[in-house]
Amino acid sequence: MNDDEAIERSLAGDLAAYEALVARYSALAHRTASMLGAGDEAEDVVQEAFVKAFRHLASFRRDAPFRPWLLRIVANETHNLTRSRGRRSELTLRLGATASVAAPDDPEGAAVATDRRSRLLEAVRRLPDRERQAVVCRYFLQLSEAETAQVLDWPVGTVKSSTHRGLARLREEVGNELA
Amino acid sequence: MNSREPFDDLEAELLALGDLLDVPTPPPADVASAVRARLEAEAHDTPDPAHGPFDASVRPHPRAPGRRDDGRRPPAGRGRRARWKIVTAVVLVVIAITAATPQGRAAVVRILRFAGIELRVGETTPPPVTTTAPMPGEHTVQPDKVSGQVKFQVKTVKALGDPKSVTVADNGRVVSMFWPDGVRLDQFDGSLDPVIFKKLGPPWPDYARVGLHEAWWIPGKHPLGYIVRQDGTEVPLRQAGPTLIWQQDAVNYRLEGLRTKEEAVRVATSLQ
Repeated sequence: MNDDEAIERSLAGDLAAYEALVARYSALAHRTASMLGAGDEAEDVVQEAFVKAFRHLASFRRDAPFRPWLLRIVANETHNLTRSRGRRSELTLRLGATASVAAPDDPEGAAVATDRRSRLLEAVRRLPDRERQAVVCRYFLQLSEAETAQVLDWPVGTVKSSTHRGLARLREEVGNELA
Repeated sequence: MNSREPFDDLEAELLALGDLLDVPTPPPADVASAVRARLEAEAHDTPDPAHGPFDASVRPHPRAPGRRDDGRRPPAGRGRRARWKIVTAVVLVVIAITAATPQGRAAVVRILRFAGIELRVGETTPPPVTTTAPMPGEHTVQPDKVSGQVKFQVKTVKALGDPKSVTVADNGRVVSMFWPDGVRLDQFDGSLDPVIFKKLGPPWPDYARVGLHEAWWIPGKHPLGYIVRQDGTEVPLRQAGPTLIWQQDAVNYRLEGLRTKEEAVRVATSLQ
């Protein structure tokens, strides 16, 4: 069952089809919510986003891809949450355990790489909101410029400029050490 | 990806970093069942908006491209609320029926309501109904005796001359007039809950006007059924021909059996 079939069945009231759609995009939705600043509440945000997506499914344009449409709702929910908490959204993510074993044959090199990654992640965390969101969408979530524009509800030009500024700032902070 | 030269390495590094980030993710199946449980809980007390607006304004297409639905409910007056309840009941019935078969599940993509008629619009043409059933309590009456059996004011289309026969059904809820060659005019009380349902596939209903009134032309043959008011029971009636539907002075009209929209509209405007 592809996305379109699942959506069509969901519109006809088939909750099992919608369940399949939720399962398919669950990990990506969690990733998006976490990276856009939902923190510990990512699970709530994601559930709420899927419930809202179902309610709004009739307004989804079927000739458009489902993924950015869904992520837009996730981003909105995340934004609502951080706004209601009255504080800046934070990138609370940690590097996974695999980061330190990336180069087992070269412990010293691996340590340097891990250290550099930590500092890069820290630099991304410190970026101003807009720049961080653009960088997160473009690189951590691997969305295209057009998808990023849809998910964040910005003009494509803003995506381009925010990404550009974010990269410039990151380069300023950690870029000098690039091999 | 951004291809500005000085940033290439940093971009690659960021992509790699993204893959290494530890994002806590519950099992997808758990998320899916949690979402389903919430939707099922909601379905008991709110209408299912996945099926779009259940108001009288019918769109010519099952989806309005680019439409933004913010999902907010209208101000909840008492009448409104009662109406939503009726609509919910109808929708649940429809879901129950259409969910029974795999074909049924995929068949209905949108339910539109107009002039006391529920249009179940699907992506594919529904299989034809091969049997013919009368409406509940349908019986023939003398044309001059109709008014006494019906609560609303009965009219006819003068362009077709006197009908060949007239029937009244369901305790005066529906009046039907018949002419040769399968032409018929049904009229019924314009109350909020639908009386008749139609299952439609392509071609979609086409917008029309009968004088000052909005109307819809359903060009193809389609299954037709009757919804019994008290308990929501549905009676499949027959395979209907091309039909014009409209509402005028709180009465719903359905003119069936004329070949073109123009001809149907011409006949409909002679209503008096």
